[in-house]
Order: sequence, then structure tokens, then C-alpha cells
Amino acid sequence: MKIIFLGTSSGVGKTTIAAMFCRYLKRKGIRATPFKAYNVSSHSYVTEDAGEIGIGQAFQAFAAGTEPSKEMNPILVKYTENGVQRSVNDTEKKDKMDIALASFDRLCNEYEAVVCEGSGSPAELNLMKDDVANIRLAAARKIPAVLIGDIERGGVFAGLYGTWKLIDESERHLIKGFIINRFRGDASILRSGTDRITEMTGMEFLGVMPLTDLKFPEEDSSFESEDIDEKKEYYIKNIDEFLNIAEDHLDLERLLSIAKE
Amino acid sequence: MHIKTLTGFKCIKKKVEEEFRRGWIGPNVNCEYHPCHHRGQDCTYCFCPFYPCNDVQLGKMIGDKGIWDCSDCLFIHRKDVCTFTSSEVERLGIVKADDERLADIFKEAKRRFFKQARSIMVLGATSDAGKSMTAMALCRIILDLGYSVSPLKTQNMSLNTMATHDRREIAMVQALQSKAAGIKRANYHINPILLRPKGDTVSQVMVNGRPYRDYDVRSYYNEFVPGPGTEAVRESITYLRNRYDHIVIEGAGSPAEINIYDRDIANMRAAEMADADCVLVVNTSWGGAFAYALGTIELLEPKDRERIKAVLFNDLSGNPEGFRKGMEEFERISCVPVLGVIPHLDIQLPKEDSEFFRNTKTIGKGKVQISVIKMPKITDFTDIDPLYMENVTVRFAEIPEELDGSDAIIIPGTKNTISDMLWMRDVGIEEKILSFKEKVPILGICGGYQIMGSELTGMDGKTVHGMGLLNSITEWKGDRMVELVSGRLMATGEEISGYETHDGKTISNEKPLFEIFDHKTTRKEGSYDEERKLFGTYIHGIFDRPAFRRYFLSLAGLKEHSEKEYSEHIEENIQKTADAFKASMDMELFERSFMGGRQ
Repeated sequence: MKIIFLGTSSGVGKTTIAAMFCRYLKRKGIRATPFKAYNVSSHSYVTEDAGEIGIGQAFQAFAAGTEPSKEMNPILVKYTENGVQRSVNDTEKKDKMDIALASFDRLCNEYEAVVCEGSGSPAELNLMKDDVANIRLAAARKIPAVLIGDIERGGVFAGLYGTWKLIDESERHLIKGFIINRFRGDASILRSGTDRITEMTGMEFLGVMPLTDLKFPEEDSSFESEDIDEKKEYYIKNIDEFLNIAEDHLDLERLLSIAKE
Repeated sequence: MHIKTLTGFKCIKKKVEEEFRRGWIGPNVNCEYHPCHHRGQDCTYCFCPFYPCNDVQLGKMIGDKGIWDCSDCLFIHRKDVCTFTSSEVERLGIVKADDERLADIFKEAKRRFFKQARSIMVLGATSDAGKSMTAMALCRIILDLGYSVSPLKTQNMSLNTMATHDRREIAMVQALQSKAAGIKRANYHINPILLRPKGDTVSQVMVNGRPYRDYDVRSYYNEFVPGPGTEAVRESITYLRNRYDHIVIEGAGSPAEINIYDRDIANMRAAEMADADCVLVVNTSWGGAFAYALGTIELLEPKDRERIKAVLFNDLSGNPEGFRKGMEEFERISCVPVLGVIPHLDIQLPKEDSEFFRNTKTIGKGKVQISVIKMPKITDFTDIDPLYMENVTVRFAEIPEELDGSDAIIIPGTKNTISDMLWMRDVGIEEKILSFKEKVPILGICGGYQIMGSELTGMDGKTVHGMGLLNSITEWKGDRMVELVSGRLMATGEEISGYETHDGKTISNEKPLFEIFDHKTTRKEGSYDEERKLFGTYIHGIFDRPAFRRYFLSLAGLKEHSEKEYSEHIEENIQKTADAFKASMDMELFERSFMGGRQ
């Protein structure tokens, strides 16, 4: 079972929605693991197996009820005071895609479900050819994808449609559905828009997640780093709450069947 | 036309005859009122030789008294009109102001030089794409090219507003763009519809700078927009296009919200009404810029899509060369040229409100700490902006602990005084502020001033007790005060200025903080207890001028002060922004697609 959550830009809530889905699988008794092939993060987590992964994947692992491991985030780029530091958990392979796929395959063998998170936008015209975290990964392992758009900033339909349109025709079929995140107000006002997106792209509408003020670990924030182990319970409580809200607003069963495809 | 300073027609005629004798003079930079309309205006006819022209495109009849008001006409301040008129006056040997041939000159001048402004619309792929800043920069670029220009935003959701000279309210952002356009007195037509959010779904709607009524999302789109909203927008567009060479319209949010497409009068409907050519601004800092740009363009209806003449990628950090590779591919796919890639600019200008607090906790690095209470319904936080020029740290406090170490505390404006006061009480901020009493200066501005008082009586007649720092009571009766003010600081006698925008009236038993000059009379304003370091005022923008800023910050322990007027600081930053845009834009494409051929 596998799925990848892509975003129309960074900061749309991929990490949290993937964590929520990990939690959902845990409740269903399914052994799940998070995975993010390539991560740019200022905050990292040192794993038991002596690797270093993004704080988001560590949090997702906790949500899935598993121990964070270096495979969950094989390539990590960190911005430190001294500039850019690249940390690769598997040093044997040189090609980024090989590294990503090797870790993904190992996780597939170990777990029942792999919940992947993309990185940034999958439709960066200048970066797409070298991008190992998004659609190329999905294509290489036939991972069904769900696209997340953030409505708080506006332009969510343009973001969803434009992203789909810029992805190569041969790979678009991998994007099965879309989610609108961080909505405030009466969601019925969006209906004509979501219908139109489905009509134009074939992507299935999977729901509108309301804006919540639940706090989760900050991956890219400039705020001081925090000790996630210390706040683990607090974050788990929040992701449980988030999942409860998601159950009312997203079609989680459909997400599950997409992951099984 | 300064008809107010003269009484009667005869005086005007006499002045016009003097102007005929003097001939063409261009801009009169020595005049103490210059520029009374906008930078670059022609002052040859300060008094109009065609008065009253009775042309409704240029002025209007006031009431039934038969007085022709053309105080905001710019036609007679165009260089081409002035040079043509004075050469005709000279050629025909006209010396008297009542010469009938002047009517023919007016007719001919109107035929030759009166045109509707060319309209540019700045659209954004998202909110906070950089539309406001782009529109501001374009206003200054067009002004610098020698044209008259006005900003316009047909519908704006704003927590920061200011007063116009004629007691209307406009968004702070449009006031800033007006300044960039070189306009002396911002006009309320630049904001025909102003929304002040009241909750998640209800907003107070203001039309032409005055409260209209409250709407929820549905009734706003179903009732207001198709009727009075569209009418107000059309009227403003016509008004501005009749007066300027160019108008720069700022869109709102994204134009591609396909669920409300037909009812969105902030974007493509406005572009259509103004016959505007559009530039789409996309923020690159979050990623997905190409997708947002292409998606926006393709989700527009074909007739609207044709209006998109260029895309501007904004706020790029990192490698522009890498980005450029994607840009060429983008132009090929979208068939829309890229106007430029604007790098991330380090500019200090009043921020658009929506995003301001998302990542801002403190500003500045000075030793002296000024704490500003960040209430849930905070408004008018541009009041704080001038403090960023000083060597202080401004900290926005949401919990009591964030007030630790304060050298001064400011309670700013709020959309709902009583609910925000109760919030302060609930979270323990009130108690924390009281622990600083008499130790550090505490200033309340507008809603904050009301909160500092002893009693507040709401519209429902219910009275709650305030913080009790000042011996004053506030009552709400439903009328709104909107006014530009100037006066002096009682403590030092120095000049101050600012503006008031508030519901609620305060009666204070404290000493007044300011004396306001009100035509020929004066009135007392605010509350002041220097010994206990307590201050309250309704005046926004009170830190803009150095007098009160220096006075207040001295009490907070700041030793060295900036004597700069905030307006100068803003002016420098406007020019810096415009120059940076100009340097990063394809100016040839800009002039070809957006400037040529007024209709």
C-alpha cells in the first residue's frame, strides 16, 4: 500500500496531512511508515539508527506509531549558520534517484503502507528534470498521488490546475485526487469550483479541510529549534484531534482505496 | 481652483485676467500649496478661465444652489491644455475673463486633449503576491515618465485605514500608492468598496469611504455586488479615468476563483469596466510559481485571458539564472511574456495586513523594548511602523510573559474594543500591564485608549469596567468620526498631525495630551498623566512626526532619537522600490504593452 501527497507550493500542509494519514492507518491497525525522498529543512532529528531526518518525518513516524529511521528521509539538506549542509543517509549510491528508490524499496519491504510526502511544488519548470521527491518518484514506483492546495493564500484552483497542467501528460494519470486545505467559512461555496477542477483534470475531489489552530512541529520556520521528543505527547494529541476533524471533512476511505490501487 | 479663499465670481475673473497677462508658467514650485493636486501639474491657470464650464466629466453641480464644483478637476492642470490655451489667448488677443471666445477655446481643448486614462491592472496569483507593492512601484514609474497617474483598488479588505481631507476612509495601502503617484490629497474614489472584517463570515461594507452596511459572504455576493457594488466601482473608474493619464488598478486575491468568477468585481469585471491591460504578479518565494501563473491564466475566460499582457515574478531569493531557464519554458507554454523577475527587496513600507503577523514576533534589535499588545481584533497597526526607524525592539505580545522586560507598552486600535479588552482580562495581559503601572510609559491608541479608561458602554447599553488606568469613560452611539487632524503636543508645544477613525466617544477627566486646531477654533484631545506615565489618544499616525515619538520614547529610556519625518522615510522607500522594479523589468515591453495610446 502506498500513496504520495504532493503540494501546489511549500507550506500547504503536506506534512500534517501525511501525518494525519499515518495516524489514520495506525488506527486501522495498518503498519505504516512516512517517507520523504528529499527534504530541505532547518530542523532535523537524529534517529536511533544514527541517521538524520527532517523533523516532519520524525513526527509522522510517531503518528504512525513507529520509530523514526534514516530510511524515511534518505536525503536531507540543512541550512545552517555556516551555509548549506547536505546530509545523505545512504552514502553508497551517487545518483539521487537511486538513493531515494533504494530507501523507498527497503521501507516497502518492512511496512504494510508507505505514506510519502513530496517536496515543494512538483511543477518547477527549472527543477523538474532533477526532482527526485515528487512526480518522478511516483512514476518510478507507480505511487498514486494526491495533490494538496492551500486556500488561505487564495488562488487555490489556479494552483491545482496549473500544477496538474505542468506535469507531463504521461505522468498526470498518477494524480488521483486533490484536497483543499485551511479553509475558513462555509465550504459549500467552493462546490462549483471543485466540480470544475474534476471536470477539467479528472482528479477526484477528496474534501476541504478547515483551518485549525492546532500546532505541529515547524519544519522550515526560522523560530528556534525545539525538542520534539519532549513535546511528542502534545503533538500526538494534536494529530489525533486533526484526524478527528479530517474524518468529518475528507473522504478517508477513498484515500485508503487509492493507496491500495 | 481655490474658490474658497475668495468670495464671488468677480475676484476669480480678476485673477484669470492676471493669469492672461502673465502667460504660460508651467508648474509653480514656489507656491506654498504646490503641488496642490499632483507632482508635475501645470499651474498656469490656478484660477480656471473656463469656470464654470458645466462639463460633467470635469466637475459637478453642488446641490440645488447652482454652485459649480470643479475643485478636483485636473484638465486645466495639464501641460498640453495650458500651453494650447495660453497660445490661443495670446493669438486672439483675449484680455477679459468674460470674453465669449473662451468657450470655443475650451471646446477645442477638450476635443484635442481630453482622453480617458489608459488602465493597467495588477492581478495576483494569490493574496500577498506583491500586488500592492507592484502597483505602488508602477505608479511611481509612470509618474517619473512624466504622466499623471492614480491608483485604484475596487474592493479591499483592510484593517488599516486612514482619513481623507474630506472625512472619508481609504485603505492605508492605497494612500501609500497615491503618495507614490505624487498625489497630494488621496481621493476616496481609489477605494469604492472597503471591507472591514467583523468575523470569519461577516464584514462591514463601506462604500466611497463611508459605512454602508454589514453583509455575510453570501448576501455580499448575491445582493451587494450585482447592485450597489457594481455601480460604485463603475463610478470610481469613470471618475478616475476622466482625470488622469493612467490608472493602476490593484486586483484582490486571485482572479481565478472560479466558484465566484461572475461575481468578482475586484478583478476581471473591474478590468473589463476599465478596459485594462493586465499584468499577473506571482510570488516565487513559496514555490509553485509557474503552476500558479499558468493555472491563473488558463482558468480565466477567453475574453479575460486576452487582457493578460505579461507576468511578473516577484520576491525571488536565490539563483535568478536557474529560474530564468524555467521562465523561457513558461513563456513557450503560456504564450504570455515575462515582464521581469523582481528579487527579494529589503524595503520598509507599511505591510498588507493579512500576512503581517504570520511570521512577525519582534522587529528591530534595540535595547529599549516597546511591547505592543497583539489583540485578536487588532487594527491600525501601521501606527507602530515609525518606531522601526528608531533603535528599539518592537515586540508583539499575545501572552503575559511576552511583556517581560518592557520599557514601554502600547495598546493599539481594535475592531472590537470590548471583546479585545475581555480577551486581555482572560489571558492575564491586563493584570500584567497593571504590574508595569507607573514604572514604564503606557500608551493607548484609539481602541487601546478606550480600554485604558474606567468605563465602557457599548451599543447595547451595557457597561463594563475598563482597565481604570485613566479617569475616562467611553460610549458608543453609532456615529463614526473620520478626520485628518493637526495640532500640538501640550507637554512641549511641538507640532503633531495624524488622523482619527473611530466609533465611540470618550470623556476624560485627565489633562489633555494634545490641542487640535479645528479651523479657527481648537479642541483638546487625549489624556495624559506624565507623573504616572499614562497616555491615551484617538490620533493614528501619531508617531509619524518626531515630536511625540521623541517625547514618548524618552520616557521609555531611549537616549538617541531619529529626527526623521516618517513621510520622508516612506518617500525614500517608494523611490527605492520603483527603481528596483524598473531595473528588473523589461521597460520596453512595459511601455509597449501598457503605456502607449490613451483612448
